[in-house]
Amino acid sequence: MLRSYEGTRYISDKQVIVLDIGSAYTKYGYAGETAPRGIINTEIKCPESRELRKIYSYKDEDDLYQLLVEFLHMIFFKCVVISPKDIKIVILESPLIPSKFRNTLAKVLFRHFEVGSLMVLPIHLVTISTLGVDTLLVLDVGYQEATLIPVFEGVPILKAWQALPLASKAVHESITREMKTILSETESTEKLIENIKVRTCFVTTMERSLKLETDNPFKPPPDVKYYTTRTFEIPGSVREKAFEVLWQRDNDNLSVPTMILDSIIKCPVDTRTQLAENILLIGGTVMAKGFASRLKTELLYLLNSELYKEKLKIKTFKFHTAPSKPNYTAWLGGAIFGSVDLPSRCITKENYLELNRVPDWVNLIDNRKDEASNTI
Amino acid sequence: MAYLFQIDCVRYACSCGSLKSIAKIYFCRHCLSIRCGYCVCHEVDSYYCSNCLENPPASEVRLKKYKCSNCFDCPCCFETLSIRSGQVLVKSLHTTQEESKPVTKKIYYLSCTLCRWSSRDAGIPDQTVATGSWREQESPNTYRITALINFYKILGSIEKQQKERKKFQSKRIFLQFEKFGITSTMARKRVGQLPLLQSNTQSDQPQPSEASEEIEELSQDIFTKSIDITKITTLDQRLQHPELQVENINELRPQRKQFIVKRSQRCRFCEHTVSKPDYCPTSTKFKIQLAAFYHVPELRIVACEPLRLGYSSELLLKFCNPTQHQTQIILLSMDTPMMPTTTTLQGIKEEINRENVQMGCDSPNLLPSAVRQAIVVEEGRQVNIVINAEVILPSSSFILPPRDDAAEYDDPSDSQNSQDDPKLVVWRKGNKAIIRLDVIPYVDKDKMVKDEPIVVGLAMQYGYINTIATLEHKAPQKLDLKVKLFLTLGNLVHNIL
Ligand SMILES: [Zn+2]
Ligand SMILES: [Zn+2]
Ligand SMILES: [Zn+2]
Ligand SMILES: [Zn+2]
Repeated sequence: MLRSYEGTRYISDKQVIVLDIGSAYTKYGYAGETAPRGIINTEIKCPESRELRKIYSYKDEDDLYQLLVEFLHMIFFKCVVISPKDIKIVILESPLIPSKFRNTLAKVLFRHFEVGSLMVLPIHLVTISTLGVDTLLVLDVGYQEATLIPVFEGVPILKAWQALPLASKAVHESITREMKTILSETESTEKLIENIKVRTCFVTTMERSLKLETDNPFKPPPDVKYYTTRTFEIPGSVREKAFEVLWQRDNDNLSVPTMILDSIIKCPVDTRTQLAENILLIGGTVMAKGFASRLKTELLYLLNSELYKEKLKIKTFKFHTAPSKPNYTAWLGGAIFGSVDLPSRCITKENYLELNRVPDWVNLIDNRKDEASNTI
Repeated sequence: MAYLFQIDCVRYACSCGSLKSIAKIYFCRHCLSIRCGYCVCHEVDSYYCSNCLENPPASEVRLKKYKCSNCFDCPCCFETLSIRSGQVLVKSLHTTQEESKPVTKKIYYLSCTLCRWSSRDAGIPDQTVATGSWREQESPNTYRITALINFYKILGSIEKQQKERKKFQSKRIFLQFEKFGITSTMARKRVGQLPLLQSNTQSDQPQPSEASEEIEELSQDIFTKSIDITKITTLDQRLQHPELQVENINELRPQRKQFIVKRSQRCRFCEHTVSKPDYCPTSTKFKIQLAAFYHVPELRIVACEPLRLGYSSELLLKFCNPTQHQTQIILLSMDTPMMPTTTTLQGIKEEINRENVQMGCDSPNLLPSAVRQAIVVEEGRQVNIVINAEVILPSSSFILPPRDDAAEYDDPSDSQNSQDDPKLVVWRKGNKAIIRLDVIPYVDKDKMVKDEPIVVGLAMQYGYINTIATLEHKAPQKLDLKVKLFLTLGNLVHNIL
């Protein structure tokens, strides 16, 4: 029986843990599986003060070290239920993560948990493995910010990277503002606001959006009765306006669609059409109803605007669909890559203890930042 | 237990710097040091299901995907689902029999006693056997993702071979992490070439994803249809099942219950186990439990006079010897070196270090030193505590007799040891003694923090008998060990005199 033979072979090698520690949610699971085992808030109850703390709210490196020790201890013994000692860990990394965070994370994993090896994978690059392609423009709209890096033939075009604080957090702030008269300050916790967003709000069409702030807007969608400790109504206008902050053309003309266009402009001419026809949207925020279709309408509209008409000769935009939900697509990339035996891409415990830091080749980000500042 | 009330009043300093109550620390008998949950190595010892208490061996647990095959969590409220049984009448399908009698058949369904969710409401068919037949939803993407994994595994092995052959300059590297970006000239060169992936193509390559111009449009009825929020899942419910993240309550599917682990804890310096739970899931006992309260004298605060700035207050402390051996206690200042010491036969005091501690390397759970890995050193934790009062240390020491379980039951009158300094020891009974000390809060402005509780620090030296016999040392070794203690005494009294 070939099957059972394969099964035993698979069992004999060590389980690899894949972690995507996002600023709002952490996705955890095993390499080689099709989805993460869990998606939890990136926060931990501090054992001394008993308060719930977000990992990214750390005060300094020492504080972060302690927070990560507690948080990862929970992940290892309550979530993935595996002894961390001597195992391989795959970490997904956002391009905006400070090197301080990466170094502290590596220190906690090697010095406290004594993991065997660590593989740090950049989110945008690793995502191509979920599609089996090598040219892809990856837009990640998460919690803190939206980030974009085009990948051409398997190589990230780092000078064309984009990042704007247009993501979940901005949407939550806008809902909180709109709900001010209905919810008191103590009532409007981020958890409630997020649930209101996910359960009732949507991204409206561009056509309706243009009329929202005028004197004769379309009839708003129906209000929604919401139950917590008390019952209240969510006005239809709040449901429709929630995501508008992502598309607003402010003075700088910076919005989610301009990120894509501005990035393509920074890419070599020969790559532009290919990138525009290979877009992948990842991150929890892109799961909002109507997000992708609004993005496409906005892109086509901007393409014909004065701003981009001369600069870009693109006709169409095409979008990929990954075999996953967008909020864990990056994790899936890590789970695919993590199951490949690539010792040259791993930092081993011995290696780390000798150097006492994460080797330079992982510091993709710092290199990129220098390059980015040169081009501005 | 008194620890519940005095939880943070008396804290012991662990070797790693953590401050914890005696109930939360271990005493490694092999390296004679205090260890705590922070500085030991935690390992998964066994798995069990918190509902049915099944505890399969670790190898089987992985096959079961770390989940119990019999128990399910409610997809609605996350409580454990119970299996309900019922009976249905089934018409016999055998047409040969003229009078087909209806047969009753036992059926099973899942139901939540807390939120009333049921597998029937969700449209999951009833099962004819109670356990084993409930199927978890297979991911629709499994086939595709497996093909992708296999493809990247092949690319990985190609890259590995090339690296081994030192043909590192080859361009057949599929993800160039080392390169920090692509330049325009590189891109231009690339365009003429075959795409990297295709040139690598073997029959194994899965069909690359096709991008599409078509996008799911926002459904128009969202602007008119009213929403019943009770029929829409919450974010927690969606994230409970990442693969599906369904929007409607009736699409929720039960998830198999995850196994819970029992942990054993190992000293990171000598690799001896300091805590190992019983294998049986129902047992709360331990096979090995080197808890500090079996080995280190326990200290409790009995009473403390109201504390006034610059005035001395009386502090009563109760010491208790948990061991079978008499111990001598000396209270020292915080800056005393913490190295264990021993007194030789000649009466000379000498320091103990790793070399002359009786380690007892024949312990069954200890790997031979050749196999053992180098110790990974973690930096100590910073002690974030400010000492803001002085404790006047006694000049004399005192003795604590061994614990005598039988003596606990008879009631001898308070016994005063003739050798005791009456100014120091105010009460004693069995293996316990209460001593009196004086505390003076610092007047020093820099050290005074507003309304912070008064904390004093002192080091306790206690006699310890190392009973681990080794080949060279057959007799128990008598040692003097030290531990730093931090006592929180409460706030200052601000009264006008
Ligand atoms: Zn410790
Ligand atoms: Zn069970
Ligand atoms: Zn329930
Ligand atoms: Zn030890």
